[in-house]
Amino acid sequence: MNARLRFDGITKTFPGVKALTNVSFEVAPGEIHALLGENGAGKSTLLRTLSGVAKPTSGEFYVDGVIAAFKRPEHARLAGIAMIHQELQQVPNLTVAQNMFLGHQIKSAGGMLVNRREQEKRAAEALAMIDPTIDPSVPIKTLKVAQRQIVEIARALLDKAKIIAMDEPTSSLTPAEFENLAKVIERLAGLGVSIIYVSHKMDEVFRICHRGTVMRDGNVVGTVDLKTTAEADVIAMMVGRELQHEEHNSFVKEDVRVDVRGLSSAVTHVRDVSFTVRRGEVLGIAGLVGSGRTELVRMLAGVDAIADGTIAIDGATLKLTDPRSAISAGIGLLPEERKREGIIPGRSVSVNMALPSLGKFSKSGIVRHGAIKSRANELLKRVNLRPFQIDRPIRLFSGGNQQKAIIARWLAAGSEILLFDEPTRGIDVGAKSEIYHLIENLAAEGKSIIVVSSELPEVIRLSDRVIVMRNGRIAAQLERQELSEQAIVAHAVGDAGLKTHSAKQEQAHV
Amino acid sequence: MSDITTSQPARSSSPFSSFSVRDAGTLIGLILIVAVFAMLVPGFVSERNLINILQQSSINACIALGMTLVIISGGIDLSVGPTAAISAVLTASLLVAGYPVPVAIVAGLGIGMLCGLVNGILVAYVGLQPFIVTLGTLSTYRALALIYTGGNPVLGVPMTFRSLFNGNIGGIPNSVIIVAVIALVAWVILKKTPIGEYLLAVGGNEEASYVAGVPIALTKITAYVISGFLAALGAMILVGRLGAAEPILGNLWELDAIAAAAIGGASLMGGKGSVIGTILGAIILGAMRNGLTLMNVQAFYQLLATGLIILVAMMIDRVTRGRG
Repeated sequence: MNARLRFDGITKTFPGVKALTNVSFEVAPGEIHALLGENGAGKSTLLRTLSGVAKPTSGEFYVDGVIAAFKRPEHARLAGIAMIHQELQQVPNLTVAQNMFLGHQIKSAGGMLVNRREQEKRAAEALAMIDPTIDPSVPIKTLKVAQRQIVEIARALLDKAKIIAMDEPTSSLTPAEFENLAKVIERLAGLGVSIIYVSHKMDEVFRICHRGTVMRDGNVVGTVDLKTTAEADVIAMMVGRELQHEEHNSFVKEDVRVDVRGLSSAVTHVRDVSFTVRRGEVLGIAGLVGSGRTELVRMLAGVDAIADGTIAIDGATLKLTDPRSAISAGIGLLPEERKREGIIPGRSVSVNMALPSLGKFSKSGIVRHGAIKSRANELLKRVNLRPFQIDRPIRLFSGGNQQKAIIARWLAAGSEILLFDEPTRGIDVGAKSEIYHLIENLAAEGKSIIVVSSELPEVIRLSDRVIVMRNGRIAAQLERQELSEQAIVAHAVGDAGLKTHSAKQEQAHV
Repeated sequence: MSDITTSQPARSSSPFSSFSVRDAGTLIGLILIVAVFAMLVPGFVSERNLINILQQSSINACIALGMTLVIISGGIDLSVGPTAAISAVLTASLLVAGYPVPVAIVAGLGIGMLCGLVNGILVAYVGLQPFIVTLGTLSTYRALALIYTGGNPVLGVPMTFRSLFNGNIGGIPNSVIIVAVIALVAWVILKKTPIGEYLLAVGGNEEASYVAGVPIALTKITAYVISGFLAALGAMILVGRLGAAEPILGNLWELDAIAAAAIGGASLMGGKGSVIGTILGAIILGAMRNGLTLMNVQAFYQLLATGLIILVAMMIDRVTRGRG
């Protein structure tokens, strides 16, 4: 076999979780190979082992038939493997060339000085191969995300990379920028570089990839030729059996609970947002990364300051100054980044649950831990915490169970309006479906729910109505019967009419 | 057929539930040190010397309890020594000027709390780093004490005041009783009140605490105010013992207090710390000094031993935590 890269039985276990089980497949020289699977399928973990960030528990990599062990990221780099991360790892104030040579500068004067001129020359040569329009001497922060990605790829070429892995490279690109990236990727493949391409966007994957390996729950489901396989079959492989035919249930009541009018942020680009949420309604918020979805719910939760507009609950206008004021108005936020904004890692699940409601659990200034315990027993059972150990530090639980604990937190606080920001990010398929059912149950009880999600199937599965955000504003409000992935995407990226309009504007400025 | 169910776990509100594995480790450390000195120094474990050790540890324990609360909240208070000095010279001046003892005590404790309040406001509202804030007030407060007294000690503190802090009840020094009461109060604050939970939460993850509605500023300010109060109380004990107040009093107290808290299991990253551990940590340091002094070891070597004890304690902590 003349595989460029072979995964041979890669297994990775974390305490209590088997993240990867016996992953084996091959990537040919010059092949664009898609790595497919839902969030939590193990793609990111696999890339982490490939780049030397995490060590596999067992299994081997072969590069051009030679066994390769990556104990550190440096080893993977020397073996010709480069990673293009979703979050670009660049130093904003340094120039393009400085970023490309970061960590292994070209030296002069016996290693004392950095030879910036030589660096810029070599950077320009590498950039010329894929996109000659980028000037290596400008600070990287002056470039758009799409251009910065090209710089990362050029940097990989400087390293003589034979394999370039790209994790969701197009999540924040416009369609035109994607076309440019696709050209670059095809050019690289023509040079014999193998590409591992991770994306949730099936149309892109089918446009540019030759073959694809589908993962689910840490296992390889199969490797397929994308030129001869139908998209529906690949999706079926990705989601497996259970999630396919879950019906949406609606519990929308008549009365409007939340009435938001002309809301603008004091700290972000969210402007003039108006919408309502009824009792028992699940409102989905969709849009591209950076469209203002998270920023919108952070305002509603009192985390980000409001510059203008009003929020009324059951007809009474709120004055939100901080999260405390939102919580006392019955609003609870399940933040996007659980580790950073959700949990107190060293404290028990029950304390994490009780944190916003300690006043309720106290009597004459003393916290009644017995009362917390019995409430935790009841609520954490309801959200199906596993393992059911309410005194155990929350950091020892899986992401899905941490999420359940935060849901229980707002149930304990008696919140009637729940804001879920990416409720299933990084959560395995089983827990995901549990959280869907929980959200439905809460809606059935009459709670008003807002769900922000990047996963369109999730938005469509859960929502009674969807707001699509674009550039900090509401681009569209779609009713249940209008919901489709195509409709949401069209509004999220802006339709054809708008594009020609802005193109004309750009021309007018030139 | 009898219905056998597993018994419900006992209520955790028994006072012993808060004696953690880490506290047991600190206690074992203390027992080892006492055992070593018992073998080397005749009379080390006599009742009188043990009470001596407690008395000698009481001021550091008092300061370290406040330090522990600040460290748990994710901060640090380097200004405790100068805070104590300000409080000491103010209290002594009022006493010498003939003010009643309760007035002088309230004023001294009040100025300590005010010093803490300034630290807390600079940290919580101005948003400066706790290390930098209290490094700044370390100099500022010391300067105020020196300026106020012109650099001279305040002499002639009346006996009524001295006997209050330096007397004893049934052979137990008042300072030990005071600190024992303070420790109990600190334990209740940390374990039983919302503010205690807030301290642990803010130190554990400030951003998550904010999103969860914890009053961040109030929590931090409370920690610094308590620290200032306890620094002032430590100063009272010392003034009672010496009968005079020096404006340079309390030099390097912050380091002993941080050492006691760290030996007792407080993490300088915040979110972790123990009242019982800190008390044991202060007694470990006190016992070391007492034993080495009785052995006529030079002060230089005492300093060396203190440094080594801190490093060894931290290494043991690190290793056992890695395994647990």
